[in-house]
Order: sequence, then structure tokens, then C-alpha cells
Amino acid sequence: MRYYFMNQEMEEFSIDVEVGLCKTFEFTHEGNKKSLQVRKLAGKHFYSFDGIAWKKLAALGVNEVLVSNSETYKVYRGYKPSGLNKSGAGALITQMPGKIVKLMKNVGDKVTKGETVLILEAMKMENEIKSGADGVIKTINIKEGQALEAGFLMVEIEE
Amino acid sequence: MKGKRVLIINRGEIAIRVAKALNELGLVSVGVWTDNETEPPHLEYCQEWVHLKGNNNKETYLDIPKIMKIIEDYKIDGVHPGYGFLSENREFSETLAKKGVTFIGPNPDAVYKMGAKDISKQIAKEAGVPVVPGSTGEVATIEEAIKIGNEIGYPVLLKAVAGGGGKGMRPCASDKEVKDNFAAVQREALSSFGYAGLLVEKYILNPHHIEVQILADKKGNVYHVFERECSVQRRHQKIIEEAPSPFIGADEAVRKDICETAVKCAKAVNYDSAGTVEFIMGEDKKFYFLEMNTRIQVEHPITEEITGVDLVANMIKVAFNEPLDFKSQDDIQIRGHAIELRICAEDPITMLPAPGKIVGFETTFPQGIRFDHCIFPKFTITPDFDPMIGKLIAKGFNREVALRKVRNALDGLIIDGIKTNIPLHKVILNEENFVKGKYSTAYIGTIKPQEKVAVKEDIEAFMLKIAGIELNQMGSQS
Repeated sequence: MRYYFMNQEMEEFSIDVEVGLCKTFEFTHEGNKKSLQVRKLAGKHFYSFDGIAWKKLAALGVNEVLVSNSETYKVYRGYKPSGLNKSGAGALITQMPGKIVKLMKNVGDKVTKGETVLILEAMKMENEIKSGADGVIKTINIKEGQALEAGFLMVEIEE
Repeated sequence: MKGKRVLIINRGEIAIRVAKALNELGLVSVGVWTDNETEPPHLEYCQEWVHLKGNNNKETYLDIPKIMKIIEDYKIDGVHPGYGFLSENREFSETLAKKGVTFIGPNPDAVYKMGAKDISKQIAKEAGVPVVPGSTGEVATIEEAIKIGNEIGYPVLLKAVAGGGGKGMRPCASDKEVKDNFAAVQREALSSFGYAGLLVEKYILNPHHIEVQILADKKGNVYHVFERECSVQRRHQKIIEEAPSPFIGADEAVRKDICETAVKCAKAVNYDSAGTVEFIMGEDKKFYFLEMNTRIQVEHPITEEITGVDLVANMIKVAFNEPLDFKSQDDIQIRGHAIELRICAEDPITMLPAPGKIVGFETTFPQGIRFDHCIFPKFTITPDFDPMIGKLIAKGFNREVALRKVRNALDGLIIDGIKTNIPLHKVILNEENFVKGKYSTAYIGTIKPQEKVAVKEDIEAFMLKIAGIELNQMGSQS
């Protein structure tokens, strides 16, 4: 089984896994092989890369999204995604759920790279959402006060 | 007091902390849940559950008429507000008083007097407590601000009367900078707090944020429970606290002075509950009154750990006119050192909130760790609430031991599925100046997390996550 990981900048890498009997896992990443064993003890899963040192395994059944320190990855099990709409610098997409506090621009307005287009409130904080490119506002899909989910295309800018 | 029914108008870890104290004292803990908290972990510790209908904080945790209705319907005798929400709301405590319901907090008058920055500063001044030199009240014009700037000497800080959390304040080093920033701070004040009034005060370089815990009863006895150092802050919000303060260190004269000054402040408003007097301390160890928080604070556990005083239980007891657990100031002594790390759902590098769903949670802690939290697998952290999800507290014989324990505890704390500031804490706990205890409120700006926190975990972490998914697949097939 091949796993693909893709971050928000659309950089990707893959890891192959072969699952053996008795919860053993053989991984291959960029030609390097590594094996992992899992044991269940007192209702918890423990893992070991060498069969000697064991640690608790935290998550079972991770979402399709995976977090690693400061990076968030989309996980694809067994297939490589194609035809993803690649968001360029001109597409302002919500990175987290939030609410529109203020919209500074109208359709047809000129914007420069780094200019604030709108203010999004998320987790009690106001975030200035800035244009990623020089251009003209092409579409606005939001209004002030609107609550949004993550991944929503708020504004499109034509470069 | 036994058998009294107490409503907890809060959520998360503080609701759990309060419920634990109520249960232990033989009171009935009544918890609430709202429509956008599908599985609120705090109810696990509450004996009774009430539905607080509504989708946002205005309709729920801040809706006084709705809360009063619950109080009536469920025959509630007392209310604990936790921190945030209605904890420092004068209208709420007055409404409760009128209905004869016990507010577990100070009297409404103390809430009011300490709630407005300009009034509290005036009261402190009159009580002989040093305050940061500055304007006595609101400053209406740029000319007036410049005049005060020249009187007290630059740099000065322009800040909102109603401010807090670091919003609505800017330092200015000259007449020109006051001129340039005045209108901007006014606008910020108006948009953030709905009130444009400004104050001017002296700007203290590399300050320490040191606060003193107060515990007072309704008979006029006011005690201090020593100080906490809260200088590790980002966006003017604390992320690491410790007690006692390493900056005061072994300087017992300063410790005695600041603690007794805090008692003086509390006495000036007839304080009668648990509260905190915040000070700003310069490099010369001179300190000035900042404000008084008339509630239980997030970082109260470190004080409990080094003194053994249960602040939450004592706060509840005094509200019902029961005696405190101790009889004199001398009964309270510092033993050891405690450090608290706030675990937040936020990006460890940008330090911005990062809501999401927790998929895994495991702990392997050393002896001497306390973890006050509301984390469990499948718990969703929504953008409606503060990103703080837990407080990791280590107590040791001294600071070195506490540091050793908290480092080891952090290695044994795994929260999977969301971004957390755990990688940032790991950097700080091993950073030279923090280890030496040499840091001021400017500290976070000096550590450059973007250079020290790895953006990505090593490849083994990804393999573990694959194993988790595969194991889950096996589980669902069998």
C-alpha cells in the first residue's frame, strides 16, 4: 500500500507500507527500509522500531488530514490525487473556520501584493487576510458577518 | 454549605477544576452544555447537567437572563464563573446578589472598582501602592499626551482605558511618535473594546510580569499566597508561568514587599475572595501596580503546588461564609518550585490558533506532574473558544528539579491530530536563558521559533501514523 502526503504548498512525498502478520509493518521511503512492530498491552497499543524499546502509539484511525509540528498534510491511502484545483496566490482560501469581520475591497478594485483584503476572526483573534499577488478583485464569495468553514474560497484575484 | 447546588458557568479545564472542588466539599456541581459543544468533556465531573441552549457565547455563557432562568428552574444556590466569560462582570454579580444567589467571587463593588483601569489605579495610588507614572485619568488630546510624555519622560505607552490582552497599546519614544500613534490607538480601542478613551504611562523596558495571589474572607481577613512569574508571553498572553519568581529569587525583602503591597491593594477594595494583583517589575526590581484580576486565574495551580493551599476550594468556602483552611499568614509557606506550561491548539511557529479534531491522546508522566486539561480523543477544538486546552504543571524540590520533570513530562505528552505549541515549549525548556531563569516579557521575541522548531517531524512520525491508520483498518474489518 502506498501512502501520499501533501502539504498546503502542494509539496508531496510518499511512503510504502507492507502489513505482515502479527501487526508488523515494513516501510519503504526513498529507497530506505524500516520495520515496525505493534503490540497491545493493557488496552493500549505500543510500537517498536527495534523490538527492544517500546513507546505508546497515540492515534488509531487518523483523519485524512495529518498534522506534523507546523505543517498540515492531506493523507491519501493507496491512490494519488489528480485534478486538485491548484490554488494560486490570487485565491484567498480560509485556512481555519472563522467569521468575516470586515471586507475592505469590492469587485473590480485593484490590489497590490501584501495589501489587506479582509479581516477574518478565528479563535477570538482578528487576522488580516492579505492579497498574495498584484491584480484586480475578480470575485467575492462572502459578506461581512458570515461564518465560514476551512477551505472556503473567499476572494479571487485576477493577476 | 453541604448540599448547596452550585452552577458552573464555564467549560473546559476550569469547569473540571471547579467541579472537582465542589464535589470534594460535598456540594452539588451543576454543569452546562451548549449547542456547539457536542461532547463537552467537563461534564464528566459534574453531578448534574443542564442544557444552555444557543450556538454562540452571546446566547450561552454571556446571556445573563438565560442563566438567571436556569438558576430559578434548577434551584441553584450559588454560581462559580471560572475565568473569562462573566467572571468579572459587575451586572452579573449584582443580579445574583439581588436574587440572593451566592456569587463565588468578590462583592460587586470590588469587581467594579478593580474592573476599570483608571479607577483601580486611582484606588491603588490612594492606598499608597506604587503605580506606573502617567496620566491620572483619560487623555483626550494629542497635546495633553505630549505634555505628560515630557513630564514623566519618554518612552511612554499609549493604551486603551478598557484594554487588555495586549490590544490597544503602543510604545512611543518622542513627541512625534505620540502624534503619529494617538489616533491609531484610539481607533484600535474603539474597535476592540467599544470605547476610545486612552491613558498615557511610562514605558518600562524589559519588564517582568509578576503577580501576587490573594485569598480573603468575608470577615476582612486578607492573606497573600506568594507570587507568580508570568513573563513568558506571546501577544501579551502568558504561556509559561512559574512560582516562586526566579527574578525575585532569594531576595526575600522584595518578595515580602510585593506580597504585602498586594494585600494593601485588596484591602483597599474590601476584597473577599480569591484574586490576583498584577505588577510590572523593572530591571531595578522596582515594581508598580498594573491591575487586579477579580477571579480565579488560569495559572492558579502553581501557587497551589508550592503552598499546598487549595485556592479553588477556599474560594468556594469563603463565598458560603465558611472559614479558610488556615488561620494566619505564617501558615502559608513556599515549599519547592512549580512550573506551568499552557498547552494550546496553535501553530508552534506562527503561534496562531489552529482548531481541529484531536485523534489521539496519550500521557506517560514522571512523578510530581499535574495535568489540568479537557483533552480526549475525538474532541473537536472549535474557533469559538480560547485555544488553550490544557495546563501541564510540574512541581519539584527546586527549580532545577521542576524543569527536569516538566521536560520529561512533555516528552510523554502526545496529542495527535491538531497543531499544538508542544514543540515550542520543548525549545524554550532547553533554551539557555530560560534554563538560567533570565527572561523578561520580551523573551518570546528573542527565541526565534521559526529557526528552532522543526517544521516537519522526522519520517518515523509519519510511519507511526500510517501504522495507526492500518491498525484501524484491521479493526474495522474484523
